[in-house]
Amino acid sequence: MSQIDASQDELMRLLIAVSHEDRRAFQKMYELIAGRMFGVCLKLAGQRELAEEALQETFIQIWHHAREYHSDRGTPLGWMMTIARYRTLDLMRSRKVRQHAGEEHLEHVEDQRAGPLDESLRSAGATQLTGCLDELSDVQRDSILLSYYKGLTHDELSQALSSPIGTVKSWIRRGLIALKRCLEK
Amino acid sequence: MKMTTERIESLAAEYVLGSLHGRARRRFERWMMESGRVRQEVWYWEQKLGQLSAEVQPVEPPKSVWQAIERRLWPQTAEPGKRARSGLSWLWPSWSLLATAAAVMLAVLVVQQPAPSPQLSGAIVQADVSDPLWLVSESGPDRLLKLRSIAASAADAGKDYELWIVPEQGQPLSLGVIPAGGVHQVTLTDEARTALSQSRTLAISLEPVGGSPTGAPTGPILHVTKLYEL
Repeated sequence: MSQIDASQDELMRLLIAVSHEDRRAFQKMYELIAGRMFGVCLKLAGQRELAEEALQETFIQIWHHAREYHSDRGTPLGWMMTIARYRTLDLMRSRKVRQHAGEEHLEHVEDQRAGPLDESLRSAGATQLTGCLDELSDVQRDSILLSYYKGLTHDELSQALSSPIGTVKSWIRRGLIALKRCLEK
Repeated sequence: MKMTTERIESLAAEYVLGSLHGRARRRFERWMMESGRVRQEVWYWEQKLGQLSAEVQPVEPPKSVWQAIERRLWPQTAEPGKRARSGLSWLWPSWSLLATAAAVMLAVLVVQQPAPSPQLSGAIVQADVSDPLWLVSESGPDRLLKLRSIAASAADAGKDYELWIVPEQGQPLSLGVIPAGGVHQVTLTDEARTALSQSRTLAISLEPVGGSPTGAPTGPILHVTKLYEL
């Protein structure tokens, strides 16, 4: 973590170089962040092949769009990780990953019914977002974190949490609004 | 569309979270393009929720990912060993590699109503876009190649899309600049028709406005597709 924090300036420098089509900088940037990014893609997609493709698509996009980065988009790393999440979600949806993996996947979630979310991620979420996740109810927080980390759709969440879809939707919606109010304090 | 602040907030958050999907997601994306306020809200959530990514354990990706990225971005310099064998110009040297890399842009056979006599048909698709970008059909007798835009978006400012026939041997043949919208028709020369009927392969590259100044592709090759006989 601290290593990445320390390298934000480095990433900014590299991203600017990439926007000028500097291939060496591009490779250096890949070496610096690919592991982190692949971790996120893999957790989200739940399968290596798709995560690898998403990582590839992400870097192709970064190469072509580096000059569109600006500080409103957050840190360079944050911006690139966001692209990685969107590409992974796009691929998951276009391949209908979960629908095809269907029952196996849902069983897997149900097996972990006591806590479909890794404990480590749940507590991690708490330290991020300046503790605001703690102010949410358990179900609100879990449905937000499950969507974020695992990319579960409303349908899948409703199955994973054994609750009607309307209820799940409202947990997420209210949870997010409460989160924002807390973050704005 | 009139939207309350709260509605914008929660839609933007759900967009970033990923729980907004399908048609609602595409509607929201269109709305994002139109409204700076909506974009700001999305960026806000990208930064806030993005903090959660910091907690995920890094996993080393296989070397093949970087190699695939290089092949896609710089097909002419990646793996020079294969280049000598292909015998094509330096611009299109590793055609087979390029084709592999483009495999994610799945060429799909378009099921059409039995039309009078289209001989070749296909679609130019992109993995992360659900509709095809363009539908392509060739009608034999009148020598027309027709491109119908479905989900293609305009080229970046100062750029144009240029369509090419990729022959089995030799240089790609330009079929000119194509618009992102509407229907575009090209009358094929004898040479173009022969080349296309043999290779059945089209490509689209990104070029300066007005098309490649050199007569050969100069920009990145965005799409490669193989047409099917109907």
